[in-house]
Amino acid sequence: MSEYSEFVRQYLTVAIFAAVGIGLGAGLLGLGRIFRPVRPQEQKYLVYESGVDPVGTGWSQSQIRYYIYALLFVMFDVEAVFLFPWATRLEAYSTFGLIEMLIFVVILALGLLYAWRKKVLRWV
Amino acid sequence: MLAHLASFAWDAPSVDLHALAPEIVVAATLVVVLVIDAFTGEEQRWAASSVAGIGLLVALVPVATLAYDGATRVMFGGGYVVDDYALVLKALFLLSGYVVVLLSTNYIAEGDYWEGEYYQLLLASVLGMMVMASARDLISIFVALELLSIPAYMLAAWRKRDLKSDEAGVKYYLMGVFASAVMLYGMSVIYGYTGSTLLAEIAPRIGELVTSEPIITLGIVFVLIGFGFKVSAVPFHTWAPDTYEGAPTPVTAFLAVASKAAGFVALLNLIYVGFWGRHDVYEPLMWVLAALTMTIGNLIALRQTNVVRMLAYSGIAQAGYILAPLAIAGSSPEAADQALHSIVVYLLIYAAMNLGAFAVVMAVARKTRSAEIDTFGGLFSYAPGLTVAMSLFLFSLAGVPPAAGWFAKIGIFQALASAGDTSGYVLAVVVAVNSVIAFAYYGRLMRVMWMDDVPDGDTTPIRVPTSITAALVITAAVTLVIGVVPGVLTHFTDPINLLALGR
Amino acid sequence: MDTSNLDIAYLALSAILFGLGGFGLLVRRNPLVMIMCVELMLNAVNLTFVTFGRMLDDISGQVIVFFVLVVAAAEVVVGLGLVVAMARRRPGATADDLRLLRG
Repeated sequence: MSEYSEFVRQYLTVAIFAAVGIGLGAGLLGLGRIFRPVRPQEQKYLVYESGVDPVGTGWSQSQIRYYIYALLFVMFDVEAVFLFPWATRLEAYSTFGLIEMLIFVVILALGLLYAWRKKVLRWV
Repeated sequence: MLAHLASFAWDAPSVDLHALAPEIVVAATLVVVLVIDAFTGEEQRWAASSVAGIGLLVALVPVATLAYDGATRVMFGGGYVVDDYALVLKALFLLSGYVVVLLSTNYIAEGDYWEGEYYQLLLASVLGMMVMASARDLISIFVALELLSIPAYMLAAWRKRDLKSDEAGVKYYLMGVFASAVMLYGMSVIYGYTGSTLLAEIAPRIGELVTSEPIITLGIVFVLIGFGFKVSAVPFHTWAPDTYEGAPTPVTAFLAVASKAAGFVALLNLIYVGFWGRHDVYEPLMWVLAALTMTIGNLIALRQTNVVRMLAYSGIAQAGYILAPLAIAGSSPEAADQALHSIVVYLLIYAAMNLGAFAVVMAVARKTRSAEIDTFGGLFSYAPGLTVAMSLFLFSLAGVPPAAGWFAKIGIFQALASAGDTSGYVLAVVVAVNSVIAFAYYGRLMRVMWMDDVPDGDTTPIRVPTSITAALVITAAVTLVIGVVPGVLTHFTDPINLLALGR
Repeated sequence: MDTSNLDIAYLALSAILFGLGGFGLLVRRNPLVMIMCVELMLNAVNLTFVTFGRMLDDISGQVIVFFVLVVAAAEVVVGLGLVVAMARRRPGATADDLRLLRG
């Protein structure tokens, strides 16, 4: 095989990947369009609200309360993932591991301290 | 897998604290700023900016001692390398971080902004860039990229009550996370087919896989495209002008200079240490990206009426020039060497001249409250100093001696010519044509400043705060000195040798 | 490489998930849904890494997943913060409404 066609063949992978990606989405949407009957009625465009006619817009505002607390929870929750591998082999990592982990936890604790000082841990 | 765990014996890695000292200083500064911010009242908020600035300067001390020592320090099995290349770039990131702190001091203190957090995020982002300069492992490159990007998303939306700033932040965020997801997928493919995350181990294996595994091409293309977003290469540039206009101006300067430089550093690390054997993949990709980026960036810059947007598009075009040498980097070791040096030199000079241009725009906007080109009319009549400084930076951006830009551009041409093949020469012609186009819009701003009338007849002088003056003096001095005596810069960049690391 | 059909299936699944996420990001216009699409892409990447780690019998595939997980959480936290900040000013905005700034 010549060097050139080898070169093109390699980029073909990229093209195929892109084509499959686009084709998959477009194909599914297109398939739906072919098979579904199209009988537009005004009522069909209403937002479904348990059979009752909806009141107001679909984008009603809900209270965003305490969300920073939730975000903090997500953050600290996943940071804990780094503690588990260390905890399973506590002895093997000995002093070095302990110091490393202390630094890690202290920095995390600083974040919590900061959040507390900035009063985001209270119900507003 | 279980067999591995049973025979688990572990030695603590040797941590070279001297080599890590610059990063440790910046991280410690971050902690100090955080504590100051959490435990002091409104009156002491100014301290955040001073501490951040001092911390960034102090971090230069270990960079200098490491450079004086001169030894290449390799840690974590080759995943983290401190050599001349990394040190030069760390100095670049620290200095441009310091200039951005200078630019921010008044801007952030005067508006209704959160001050302490601003400097914490800025320091975190600079820390990410410093790690990037040393990262030679897919994992550390990824972590460094996110450490520098995530604070930048928040900084872009710092003017919280301004719709434009929110929009800038959301756009930057969505494009940024999309790019990092694409990059990660590429990394996963590369890891899967080479069996390692260390760039130095990937390099030999990736070369062997040329014919057997075409999917590795997909991995390389995805990773490079991910960083194409970071350096705002066309067609992945769409976030850049909007984010630059909406973000607070000091943040724009930071994104346009430091964040872009970090993207190029990652590209250099990846291409020179990891993907070296696959120049059949990255060369055509970089050729197309470079040609598109500089041409489209320049053409759109011509139509801009806002100086910040004009600088944004001119920055995109400059990114095209910086990408150009990568298109010929693989043709011979000499060309690779030339390309590496020309890119590093360009990044350093670009940082000085672009930060300087943003400093002038900020100083003028303090009076005019606008960045439209018209408002620069007659600047010379009431702010001659700023006009001369801006002209110097514009000359530099356009590549006119004695400002430093000419040296950077000559380096690009030399690198492109050193390949000695058609693609190099054609790209050199594209660069030359684009440099001529760029004259048009730099010249237009220049004409407005020197020759037009003051739009509202208000010729009261601009009072430039000390910190912005300091930033202007630093950037103008660097631009002028390097332009007149390029040896000052090449003294530091000549010893750089990235290729030797992978071998 | 020790390749079993199951591993191939995992890889195919993650490629499909990645494609779906990318496609969703490009066609959906609600910023929150776009963030969810990015999460889907990142999790597809995680699946790829774990599968390759299994195929290669190499631990670093799983180590990367730890980092990707944590970084993805950080990205979501920042993204939600940005979207909430925007929604407070402009309730019900979609990505198409973000056009104060035109490239």
